Amino acid sequence: MSDLPPEAFAAALAALPGVGPARLAQLLADTDAESAWRRVAAERRPRPGDEVVAAGWAALGAAGVGVSVLGMPGYPPALVDDHEAPAVLFSKGGMAAIEGRRVAIVGTRNCTRYGRDVAFELGRDLAANGVRVVSGLALGVDGAAHSGALAAAAKGGGPPVAVVGSGLDVVYPRRHAALWRQVAEAGVLLSEAPLGAAPEAWRFPVRNRILAALAEVVVVVESPHAGGSRYTVDAAMARDRPVLAVPGPVRSPTSDLPNALLSEGCHPARDALDVLVALDLAPSAPSTSQTDRRPPPDATGSAVLDALGWQPASFEHVVVATGRAPGEVGLALAHLERDGWVVGSGGWWERVAPA
Amino acid sequence: MAQALTRGSTREEPLVIATVPSATLLGAEGRPVSIEVHVSNGLPGFTVVGLPDAACRESRDRVRAALLSSSLPWPLKRVTVNLAPSGVRKGGPGLDLPIAVALLVAAGELPATCADAMAFLGELGLDGSLRAVPGTVPMVAAMAAKTVVVPSGSGREAAVVGRHEVRCAATLRELVDALKGDEPWPDPPPPQASPPGGLSAPLDLADVRGQPVGRTAVEVCAAGGHHLLLCGPPGAGKTMLARRLPGLLPALSDDLALEATTVHSAAGVPLPADGLVRQPPFRAPHHGASAVALIGGGSAWMRPGEISLAHGGVLFLDELGEFPGAVLDSLRQPLEEGVVRLSRARGSVTLPARFLLVAATNPCPCGRGGGEGQCRCGPAARSRYRRRISAPLLDRFDLRVVVSRPDSATLVGGEPGEPSAAVARRVAEARQRAAERGVRCNADLPAGKLDEVAPLAPAALKLLEYKLRAGTLSGRGLHRVRRVARTLADLAGEGSVVGEEHVCLALGLRGDAGIDEAVA
Repeated sequence: MSDLPPEAFAAALAALPGVGPARLAQLLADTDAESAWRRVAAERRPRPGDEVVAAGWAALGAAGVGVSVLGMPGYPPALVDDHEAPAVLFSKGGMAAIEGRRVAIVGTRNCTRYGRDVAFELGRDLAANGVRVVSGLALGVDGAAHSGALAAAAKGGGPPVAVVGSGLDVVYPRRHAALWRQVAEAGVLLSEAPLGAAPEAWRFPVRNRILAALAEVVVVVESPHAGGSRYTVDAAMARDRPVLAVPGPVRSPTSDLPNALLSEGCHPARDALDVLVALDLAPSAPSTSQTDRRPPPDATGSAVLDALGWQPASFEHVVVATGRAPGEVGLALAHLERDGWVVGSGGWWERVAPA
Repeated sequence: MAQALTRGSTREEPLVIATVPSATLLGAEGRPVSIEVHVSNGLPGFTVVGLPDAACRESRDRVRAALLSSSLPWPLKRVTVNLAPSGVRKGGPGLDLPIAVALLVAAGELPATCADAMAFLGELGLDGSLRAVPGTVPMVAAMAAKTVVVPSGSGREAAVVGRHEVRCAATLRELVDALKGDEPWPDPPPPQASPPGGLSAPLDLADVRGQPVGRTAVEVCAAGGHHLLLCGPPGAGKTMLARRLPGLLPALSDDLALEATTVHSAAGVPLPADGLVRQPPFRAPHHGASAVALIGGGSAWMRPGEISLAHGGVLFLDELGEFPGAVLDSLRQPLEEGVVRLSRARGSVTLPARFLLVAATNPCPCGRGGGEGQCRCGPAARSRYRRRISAPLLDRFDLRVVVSRPDSATLVGGEPGEPSAAVARRVAEARQRAAERGVRCNADLPAGKLDEVAPLAPAALKLLEYKLRAGTLSGRGLHRVRRVARTLADLAGEGSVVGEEHVCLALGLRGDAGIDEAVA
């Protein structure tokens, strides 16, 4: 027997090659972590000794990563009763952030500006009402939702909760390195992958069940029909969690899943208020919507806005759709952008909703 | 200039040297070479010295066979051929003919003075026929002699230079008879029709249906010399638009035409019927092209690459993203300077390379394109695809436009577009205005001169200030937009001040074509 805590053995077990979430749950189901470790280690050649456990434990401490084991004190109550609860959960940040009302905001990485804006606003307004925004820190919708939640958390809103697919020391995607750090500081980062685990493709659908288990309500912002969000939705439905969907243009492939969910009977999430109603919460923060103060567009401007619709369009598309001269359209777009009706980025023009 | 020296010596046979001027090719430049042949007693043999390349060394066998087939004697003596200056590397088969002539003079078969003030150039066939060699124009230009003698097939090319009396012969026998004075010089060949595979009639812009933005972009590109990037799904008409660009450009000026002709000749590309390349060339290398094929170099005499062949015209790179990155980046210096400097251990050459770069690319790997979230490619795949074109190269394109497939109604029932002739007239007028400012075209306007020649209307200034403050336009982008706006104002026939509508359209035509990394 050693003086290492059982969490150290559980973590070492999770880090063994060939031990995935399912095998780990099986191993820890009917025995304590230390005996499970000894049984598995005895079958391995060369046999890993206690020094491996101690080194792993020290590395976790150095990285500031906490370990919670299912069935032991400190394990998040929100997950205890879940039938697919992770046997070992690694965390970075304050575990207390999980305590409270939680809403998962999920969606595709390949989102439109519309999806990004809606996710940001939902994240911001929900966090402002004290809700914990749970998401996956991926590019696109996930990142936008957390950026919004962080903006509100800085003003005393609910802390963000992220469940990631890689080890907590492997920042993925790297473009979100700053966001990753801010979430760990303001809220908590969770993962069932051991330190150093690469962001392998199989980990993400598996991770999505934790998202669904943690959330009381799941909001799908934008996702193609067969996107990764489908796993989260299925996992949430299997747990009888309400799923809300953000309505999108019927022709937008990225709104396929939310629109299909709406037709199946899910409630729409038009703004944070819809989500708060699903949580049985009354809004405490004032709504941010207000009357449109933008100067009304002129005749050409209106034609250009109609041609744009709510999807990104190239300059050429607008010229063809309006049938006007390129010079005239260029002038109209410039005026609309100045007045806040559209934004142009990377050659694409998009309408913006009133602030 | 041929001269034979016969000196009395103590030996039985006289010691004989003959010298004949010719030229060799390096890059697109001719270098004068003088062929010295020395015939002496000794073991019969034939040696070529003075840094000949393989083709040059092999001339021994061609010359011997050609002499024998032309019923001319082969001296059973020791023959040494020196290619002076002996420090310069000589390449190509063009020295066959001068070697043969010098040999005949040295062997006493031709009178010593018959080839005075004459330079020779040409390849010999085994049957004694004379064959044209690539690079006739620059090599003839390097010759100081009053008369040049070339194979009949090179007559037109040699005449392009215009400084020499050009004599042609079809066979070595004809040439020898003419040199001896037994027969008159054969007539130069009549001008023939353009060789197959050469430049054809330009395509007309009227064939392009729809495409309002693409058409505008091509017109601005031609008028202002702005490089153009077309981005669109397969079948959108990118190549169709690009191929119509040479028809919009004015014909090459005399100087430019001679430079282009020189390069074409040096690369062995067939010349048009009248000899001079007057029509702006259009070169469209496949994306498998190597850096050397594009830039030039490679062989000992540094063949001009595609960018030099496009001198004065259009270089069209289809599927820009498929070109290797290193190949594309090698374009940056020529784009900036209008020449390409090739340096090798043996020497360096400067080739002209002032071309209009037109590139086409798909918006993403699946080709469907669209804004964020509109195609099936993930953000990582899209950004990888975009990164294939380096930012500095992307920056060279003043015009980056998205073109999409016109709908079927436009294709089938649509009105034919404006014909090239009408657009070319506007282009010529706009180029004339640019010339009055002292630049070749508006793309060359120095940034410091923009305030003077392209002052902005107050509304245009306000708009650009807004763009700069919002961070959607960089300082360098500002200059590029102003140059394009200047061209647009010129095309519209408007005076000195650049209005807001021109700046707006310039901004629209500079849309990043979905190529720049979208900031998440």
